[in-house]
Amino acid sequence: MTQVCECRSPQEQRLQDKIEGKEDKFRKSHSRVFKLLERFEGQKPRIDIERALYFTESMKETEGQPLVLRWAKALMHVAKNITVTVQDDQLLLGRAGCDGRYGILYPELDGDFLDIAVRDLPTRATSPATITPEDAKRVVEEIAPYWKGKTFHEDLNRSLPPDVHKLTYDDPEGLISRFIVNETASFRSSIQWVHDYGKILRRGFNDIKREAEEKLAALDPMSCKDNCEKRPFLEAVIIVSEAIVLWAKRHAVMARAMAQVEQDPVRKAELLRMADNADRVPGEPARDFWEACQSQWFTQMFSRMEQKTGTTISNGRMDQYFYPYYLADKKAGKINDAQAMELLECMWVGMAEFIDMYISPTGGAFNEGYAHWEAVTVGGQTPDGRDASNELTYLILKSKREFPLHYPDLAARIHSRAPERYLWDVAETIKYGSGFPKLINDEEVVPLYVSKGATFEEALDYAVSGCTEARMPNRDTYTSGGAYINFAAAVEMVLRNGRMKKYGDQVLGVETGDPRSFKTWEEFWEAYKTQHLLFLKTAFHQQYIINKLRAQHFAQPMGSAMHDLCMKHCIDLHQEQIPEGINFGYFEYMGLGTVVDSLCAVKKFVFEEKKITMDKLIEAIDANFEGYDDIKALLKSAPCYGNNDPYADAIGKEIDKISVEFGGKYSMHDLGIHNDVRYVPFTSHVPFGKVVSATPNGRTDGFPLSDGSSASHGADVNGPTAVLLSNYNTKNMGMRDRAARMLNIKFTPKCVEGDEGTEKLVSFIRTFCDLKLWHVQFNVLNKETLLKAQKDPNKYRNLIVRIAGYSAYFVDLSPDLQNDLIARTEHEAL
Amino acid sequence: MSQECPDSQQKGMVFNIQKFSVHDGPGIRTIVFLKGCALRCRWCSNPESQLAEPDLAFNAGRCLGVSKCGHCIVACPYGAIRLGDSDLPVIDRKACADCQDKACASACPAQGLLVYGKMRSVDDVLSVVEQDMAFYVRSRGGLTLSGGEPLLQKDFALALLREAHERHIRCAIETCGMVPEATVRAAAPYLRQVLFDIKHLDPAVHKAQTGMSNERILANFRILAEEFPDLPILARTPVIPGFNDNAKTIKAIAEFLQPFSRVEYEMLPYHRLGTQKYLFLDRQVPMGDVQLNQKKMRILRDLAQSVLGARLHRPKEKTKKA
Repeated sequence: MTQVCECRSPQEQRLQDKIEGKEDKFRKSHSRVFKLLERFEGQKPRIDIERALYFTESMKETEGQPLVLRWAKALMHVAKNITVTVQDDQLLLGRAGCDGRYGILYPELDGDFLDIAVRDLPTRATSPATITPEDAKRVVEEIAPYWKGKTFHEDLNRSLPPDVHKLTYDDPEGLISRFIVNETASFRSSIQWVHDYGKILRRGFNDIKREAEEKLAALDPMSCKDNCEKRPFLEAVIIVSEAIVLWAKRHAVMARAMAQVEQDPVRKAELLRMADNADRVPGEPARDFWEACQSQWFTQMFSRMEQKTGTTISNGRMDQYFYPYYLADKKAGKINDAQAMELLECMWVGMAEFIDMYISPTGGAFNEGYAHWEAVTVGGQTPDGRDASNELTYLILKSKREFPLHYPDLAARIHSRAPERYLWDVAETIKYGSGFPKLINDEEVVPLYVSKGATFEEALDYAVSGCTEARMPNRDTYTSGGAYINFAAAVEMVLRNGRMKKYGDQVLGVETGDPRSFKTWEEFWEAYKTQHLLFLKTAFHQQYIINKLRAQHFAQPMGSAMHDLCMKHCIDLHQEQIPEGINFGYFEYMGLGTVVDSLCAVKKFVFEEKKITMDKLIEAIDANFEGYDDIKALLKSAPCYGNNDPYADAIGKEIDKISVEFGGKYSMHDLGIHNDVRYVPFTSHVPFGKVVSATPNGRTDGFPLSDGSSASHGADVNGPTAVLLSNYNTKNMGMRDRAARMLNIKFTPKCVEGDEGTEKLVSFIRTFCDLKLWHVQFNVLNKETLLKAQKDPNKYRNLIVRIAGYSAYFVDLSPDLQNDLIARTEHEAL
Repeated sequence: MSQECPDSQQKGMVFNIQKFSVHDGPGIRTIVFLKGCALRCRWCSNPESQLAEPDLAFNAGRCLGVSKCGHCIVACPYGAIRLGDSDLPVIDRKACADCQDKACASACPAQGLLVYGKMRSVDDVLSVVEQDMAFYVRSRGGLTLSGGEPLLQKDFALALLREAHERHIRCAIETCGMVPEATVRAAAPYLRQVLFDIKHLDPAVHKAQTGMSNERILANFRILAEEFPDLPILARTPVIPGFNDNAKTIKAIAEFLQPFSRVEYEMLPYHRLGTQKYLFLDRQVPMGDVQLNQKKMRILRDLAQSVLGARLHRPKEKTKKA
């Protein structure tokens, strides 16, 4: 293996340099952000309770009023009272909490967990956080009690019918997930989202407020709807517009006060300029690049205080909406690239400091390693269908190579006419080794969105949101987090006649009969399909109830103020149906590779070649293959998903078809939203694997499921081209009820070495685009690096690894997940 | 071979098809490895490629152990497999030399026993190669024939090349040059790239270390270089400790190549990745544990570069654009 190790990725080289005590080669040219970062390096995140405290205080006072108005008033109360901080050396103002690495609380969501959480968070294995004893006391005594019985989570737990509840939760309180048809709506107010930041830069919140005032004046004083629904909404928009401006101006006051005592003339000038910025934006339109960055950042941070969006709020098409300001400043000689990059990186620092806190144990397990996906989108096409890349695109990519942390979550849109320079820059950035940017394919997203009702202009202007999603910020509308469905459990239920080893005699699925009595593969397949449909039905019923409940628990006046349709119809984004909107929901297929490989093994060895009997198979699985090594080995030799093997891929396509057909029938016409099949697990394939006993693909008890649309661990023996093709083969291209598929490809640096390697990576990306796959991300690393990091975490604290749609620090992950990463097949070409 | 057999139905002995090969020819390629070679290089990293017939291999690392499995012992009709020390089966290679069906390998659930080499038709091979067409189209890659010496199975190799050409698959070949001149001339028109091994210029040393002298190899090289002026050629030297890892030899090769102005050159450092496979075949590792001195490799590359300039391909990690 020596040859492979000779070649270090630049990221590995930087780590090695750090271990040897050498200075990072980008430190000099990025001294401000390095200084900022070093202040919180290695810090365990702290919980800041202020947002929760002031939000709760206000909510106590406004009971009985329309929810959207209560929400706006609560945000005003937060804006008036929350501590305002001006950080040394920072160029941007606006934080949702204390200095350093911090997270905030959303008790309205899952406050019933709060008291348990503040006890457990500091010591929990996955993603721990600290809280001061005083704050912990206030949470337990002042915040949590108010929310008891009122949270969305409790309401949901009460509202699920017994058949749905039993596949959702493992206990009457709904605190423990079954990890079968798992709901994700109770640890985020909505699925991930992106705002139309460009609108704020152009118009400012004062103009939105003016619009709301005009609409308010024009309401029909006799109309019920106008007065009972539209009026509170418009009042809420006015309040929230005032709130964010007030909050921004408090920063101006503080920055000015600090400037007065500042000795360093350079910093003094910076502080004064920052104060001027905060006085101007986001109320008024931005006039230059710095103001534009400040306006976006205030908007983003205030939005994070408004509610917990799934995976934090995304950044949208930054290289598009910032471009006019950047260009004008450059032309006027007001700014150079280094200064523009510094401003952007000040924003990356702010993102790195904010931790997307998941206080429930299920949420924590879903999002290990303090993951967040504040996707910054670059590239793609203009609404007119032309290539959209510009100088700012290249500057953001460059920053991604040089900025030492894995923020922001960078997404590059790819289309069939993407210029060579763009793809080379993207490929070179990927080669850096941190897995960024992830790639999203216009050739899949745009036609799908048009087929679901968007105009070409809207679809061409989509922004990547969260992990792998795509949003049209003024056309698509909210929905809650969808179900994550453990289909490996469906296989187990076929083998155990509706039961699971972990849950004993309890009948959770359908009693499809003793599989030993099945005479043909078709019988087995029908039994699987029956369990699959039960899970889908359960997920859709769950979602139906969630969608009804959501509007009673959540409102989002600020996000709605930024949405064209909400302003047009004077309706909050959390309402179930927004006129003219398109509701893009999804549910998650967990364990595609695990299920396909298991079904292949059963079909081939039990029914076709009759190498083992069903009885023997079940015996071996019951024994977790202990004492059945030969059977385990045989099962593993079955055709597997991820190898471009028609045998396996045909089964994969049939499985996909069950889901898209079900969606086609029951989504829009019955559930009322699009509810499309998606293959994006974050890190949840690990906890989902824990509840499933051994499976017929030779996987042992509790082992992680396969991840997204990637192959089972080590099963993809034919290399990365085959993985891509299997993905393509298992898609039902003629049907529309599908959403994202997440695909991880790992390369060793040797594979992509030199210009020749970059060229091959570029052509690989072009083929990915040709195949119309939704998403791909690359991990350029040596296995040895990971093993070393596992042994010596302190030395590899900044090792960035790509997992499940985002990057995290390798050492932040549990040993479980580290092993999972290491076990994945490396695609080495020697 | 009968003249009536269409190219697509020609059969040959193939021991591996490897997708996503990025170091053997332009673009993203699929390598088809053909069995059989006239040379017996001591450093050969594909020992399973040397014989024309299938080889039975035993990978102890994958074997489950006789106590847990033992299917091979039961399956062998010759009683040639028995329980050895440490729970592993031992193969009596003499007793199973004439076995055709290798029932033991079929019975093995763990790919501990496997057979290198299978008769496959051109159509079958190309259907696998064509799976990655979408990648060749973008990367200008395609099929690389390798081995063994792929041109040794002349009829099959030529049928493969003709049929691939017919299907618009770009072909490259990796050859040691130890084949009849007529075969080289017949193959060349179907090739987009030749990777040609030049191991040593001294016939006596060549014979001593590979079993054959090098006259025919060099003659074939000249045929390709002189008679097919549009065919890109990459000459390659595996740099082997104790054989050619010295200035004199490398200089001689570089100077031999120098007049062929369109021929590029690459030096491949010796690696021990094939070692494992000798053990699978119950064969001695001819090179033992020898390793190539990295510093020496750099010096030799400098030397070749001084003769051939930019025609020498050198691996380099491009430094990041600042």
